[in-house]
Amino acid sequence: MNESVVVLTIFAAIGLGTPLVFATVGEVLSERSGVLNLGVQGTMLVGAVAGFWATFKTGSLLLGVVAAIVAGAALSLVHAFSSITLRVSQIVSGLALTIFGTGLSEFIGRASEPPLVGQPSREKFEPLFEGGIADIPIVGPLIFGHDILVYFSWLVVAASSWYLFRSRMGLSLRAVGEDPASADAAGVNVARIRYGHVVLGGALAGLGGAYFSLVLVPSWQDDLIGGAGWIAIALVIVASWRPWRALVAAYLFGAAGRVNFTLQTLEISAPSNLLAMIPFALAIVAMIVLTSGKRARLLGAPAALGVPYSREQR
Amino acid sequence: MTTSAHPALDLKSISKAFYGVKANDDVDFELRPGEVHALLGENGAGKSTLCSIIAGLYRPDSGTMHVHGEEAGFRSPKDAFAAGIGMVYQHFRLVPNLTVAENMVLGTTDLPIRVSTSAIERQTEEIGERYGLPVDPRARIWQLSVGEQQRVEILKLLQRNARILILDEPTAVLTPQESDALFRTVRQMADEGRSVILVSHKLHEIKQASDRVTVLRHGRRVGEPVATADATPRQLAAMMVGRDLVLPTRDPHEHLGDVALAIRGLRVLSDRGLEAVKGVDLDVRRGEIVGIAGVAGNGQRELAYAIAGLRRPVAGTISLDGRDITSLSVRQRINRGLSYVPQNRLGMGLAPGLTTEENLGLKAYRKPPFSRGPFLVAKAFNDTGARLVADYDVRGVRPGLPIRLLSGGNLQKVLIARETTQKHSVLVARSPTRGLDVGATSAVRNLVLEERDNGVGVLLISEDLDELMALSDRMVVLFEGRIVGELTADEASAEQLGLLMAGHVEETSP
Amino acid sequence: MRRRYSVQPRGLAPLRVTLLVPLISVAAALIVGAIFLAVTGNSPVEVYQKMVDTAFGSGRGLAETLISSTPLMLTGVAAAVAFKMLVWNIGAEGQLLAGAIAAAGVGIWLADGTPAALAIPVVILAGAGGGAFWAYLAAGPRVYLGTNEIITTLMLNFIALNLMNYLVLGSFSPWRDPESTQFPQGRPIIESARLTEFFHRLDYGIFIAVAVAILAWALIGKTRWGFEVRVVGDSVEAARYSGITVNRKILGVFLFSGAAAGLAGALLVAGILGKMDPRSLDLGLGFTGIIVAALARLNPVAVIPVAVLMGALNNAGPALQSIGVPDATVTMLQGAILVFAVAGEFLIANRLVRTDRTISTAGRLQKAGVT
Repeated sequence: MNESVVVLTIFAAIGLGTPLVFATVGEVLSERSGVLNLGVQGTMLVGAVAGFWATFKTGSLLLGVVAAIVAGAALSLVHAFSSITLRVSQIVSGLALTIFGTGLSEFIGRASEPPLVGQPSREKFEPLFEGGIADIPIVGPLIFGHDILVYFSWLVVAASSWYLFRSRMGLSLRAVGEDPASADAAGVNVARIRYGHVVLGGALAGLGGAYFSLVLVPSWQDDLIGGAGWIAIALVIVASWRPWRALVAAYLFGAAGRVNFTLQTLEISAPSNLLAMIPFALAIVAMIVLTSGKRARLLGAPAALGVPYSREQR
Repeated sequence: MTTSAHPALDLKSISKAFYGVKANDDVDFELRPGEVHALLGENGAGKSTLCSIIAGLYRPDSGTMHVHGEEAGFRSPKDAFAAGIGMVYQHFRLVPNLTVAENMVLGTTDLPIRVSTSAIERQTEEIGERYGLPVDPRARIWQLSVGEQQRVEILKLLQRNARILILDEPTAVLTPQESDALFRTVRQMADEGRSVILVSHKLHEIKQASDRVTVLRHGRRVGEPVATADATPRQLAAMMVGRDLVLPTRDPHEHLGDVALAIRGLRVLSDRGLEAVKGVDLDVRRGEIVGIAGVAGNGQRELAYAIAGLRRPVAGTISLDGRDITSLSVRQRINRGLSYVPQNRLGMGLAPGLTTEENLGLKAYRKPPFSRGPFLVAKAFNDTGARLVADYDVRGVRPGLPIRLLSGGNLQKVLIARETTQKHSVLVARSPTRGLDVGATSAVRNLVLEERDNGVGVLLISEDLDELMALSDRMVVLFEGRIVGELTADEASAEQLGLLMAGHVEETSP
Repeated sequence: MRRRYSVQPRGLAPLRVTLLVPLISVAAALIVGAIFLAVTGNSPVEVYQKMVDTAFGSGRGLAETLISSTPLMLTGVAAAVAFKMLVWNIGAEGQLLAGAIAAAGVGIWLADGTPAALAIPVVILAGAGGGAFWAYLAAGPRVYLGTNEIITTLMLNFIALNLMNYLVLGSFSPWRDPESTQFPQGRPIIESARLTEFFHRLDYGIFIAVAVAILAWALIGKTRWGFEVRVVGDSVEAARYSGITVNRKILGVFLFSGAAAGLAGALLVAGILGKMDPRSLDLGLGFTGIIVAALARLNPVAVIPVAVLMGALNNAGPALQSIGVPDATVTMLQGAILVFAVAGEFLIANRLVRTDRTISTAGRLQKAGVT
């Protein structure tokens, strides 16, 4: 295979994988606290439209990113309230959030003045480094050819990995996800930890959504992100609840989403509808291989994942 | 050491209700510095609730609490830690997947953001040595024995320099010998000026280890605290039960029948895939109660599962009335006459969200009159339900009410009613009176004895020696998956059983 | 004295609570919707008025509402039955499409002039079978390997969607109308396999949907199989203990759920659409079914009226564009309804109790959890 095709594919995989990195790491943090959030898809869409809207109105990419983060955090607060305070089914609550978020994003996209649907973004993130180091063969594009959000995603992965396994808060987080009753008895505030990480996860999902509307596409249309939110939930398992593995898995799925273009470059034709199935089929295979039997537990699934905690109910 | 004018702990008029039931009702409690204060009471008397209030886990509905003279209103266990109070719960509060050291630091706030495990590991070893509580700080909790886990719990409190330690039924999981070692540590802590609350319903332990006793009954305090030295076990028992203790009387078995349950060379794996039952041979005859004693986690669960058909053994055979049932399904075993009262009443024995009537039909629903063809017959459920509820004196049943809202004693009555009214020759019961109050306990015990008198072979698997000694005609001791000794009802003593349960085989082998 | 309250689980929620809470959920969602509408410069009153008029204001409107609600009854039943047993089949969407693919395939393959008495049942059963097959792709791994079904059913939705698009838009398969070259269309099924219309465009499919909902209710509540399903849904341990083969029940429920969703696809193909039309099938009907099931509190009979309500919203959506309001308003409202319905479960399961008063010991509830 042609070397430039490989480089191009990896480069594109990093781009397509970056929103997945944000969303997956966010979901890892949420699930590590014991809260499954199936609202990622809706949260990403709301983040995408909020980021697009803010940039569209102000011309500022920074404000767009901030708006996406705030919107994602705010939406996931709803899930946190239902699943932590009200202790209703996390699965149904998460689905509710996705359905609401999907509708809300379409509503905002069409009801704002002027309608955002079909508009290109006023600004988009450009590669951080121009010329110089970015022109070095192979290393240049792969390491130095990205926009600032890609570097930020690397920082997020490194920071969350350190936080999870080396910090005091991370220890509390893991304990809450494993055994909230014991963590509570040891003086850890279970509800606060869970709220914090569900909201943090939502913020990262919102940012991941904005990567679509401000970098990858960059415009707004209904259902802009495809099934990226759902893929992110599958990736958490593929990554066995670890941030670095989430990065690798996200790029792998980014590459799978890119097969279409790679084949075109190689002048092989294949129906695009069938190629579009690849990431989803890959996710199913990964689920069957990884989560069958008791393997999910061995992978490191938090033992209390999906279970509401109440101190006075046993 | 401490000669403060204030008691270490002073509780006044504490009340706490759950779901409309008062678990603590106007309770006063005083703890002096440097004393071991026993909290005595039956299951359900409100001991655990009171301790959980002191430890900040529950908030009282009313009443006041002073710690070393200062008013305290704990909102969480964290507040209680800050006031120097720590508790070892009956069900340990350790995170199984974390190491000992990680559990030691969990929830502490006086550490830097970065966790340095090596320093904590060293510290853990030091404290362990000082108090005679050795444990490997790098081990993960799930790798430890129950006794070791308890040590971690105590170390955790000592590391946080708790001045008041609450031990909730600490010996329930220990052999008598391990208990003795624990009491030595408790005394050492008290001698240092710490105060210890020791929760128990075992009189001999209280006599052995405590300075004073407060008795709880039905959520209320009985009389004033008494000095342990001044009270006889009989007095304490009377305070605890509210009447003179009636030892259960048991007629010796007379009509010993054929072998109903025969187990040969049985080997069963645990959840983790290790061998938990390592070659057990056992016979239960019709008309006898065979007790299986042992500290929890020595293969009791796996043995019961294998007999009930919930887990395939890797080797050996199980026969019911002379016919091999080793490879039969659960349903086939039920039809052949195997009844099983599991330890987990709600969730395994009973479906929590279904009604009492539906639960009573949970095993017979496949046959008439409960079903006709593929359809259920609601009337049969209701009629049978009403009859059994009346016969077994089950209280609190209302139409449509999920069974999880019944009390523990009533749940057990429903379970035993169902298991004993189907046609059966063997009853396997695990800890059938665990957690029940006196009335329910004696009712359940009588039901089990009736079974035997009706010619059923009963296998009683329990960690409660009192229960075993009250019911069994013959007892075997299970240790690390093997039967290490057998005793008749007459020759069994608590001491002997204790040694066997701890694996001391040579002293009793014939 | 300070007033103190605590949240306590109730045993049996009174009927008025179980009826009132879903109504409150809908009302709360309408209020949230009104806020968003007002913020974006629309008149909520005008919008809601328009929606009611469109959905119920005329015979034709009512017929369209019922047409919209027919597939929702079936996807609602699919979700209700599965969720009741804690089988998280989030794949009604894909199962509906698989049902549509199967029904259209058979409806195209059948010879012209096949009698309706044969053609209609065959097409409908093909749809149910297609849905069940699609469900099996997730149910099989769940039952035989223990694979978590949430993600597999979700992913299968996207695969089914792409498959449908491929068959009509991306290839010259038998599903594509060979006459349509510029704008690919589905090939019509044979005329005799079409369901008869009897009230404006409303066809007999709605009776099939209602019958399936009632059938599901009777299966769960009145049969031995349903009893076993309820035990498994309540406690897997208790089911194993009483000799119920848990996996077979899970498989059965999963396939029933998939068949119901597949039937929805078949009724669309044999009814209003007459062909497999990707643009008219990719409407999120499977996800809306989850809303229906949640608001109906997983009761298959309650699914019927709730599906009519959701169908009314779906029907009203496009009409909003005539007054300059995006039809996404409807999706947002439906999502909000689900959010509040989920939160409302808390009110049904719990109540607020004053704890500073003396509490009677009558009832002796939940003593087991106390000690």
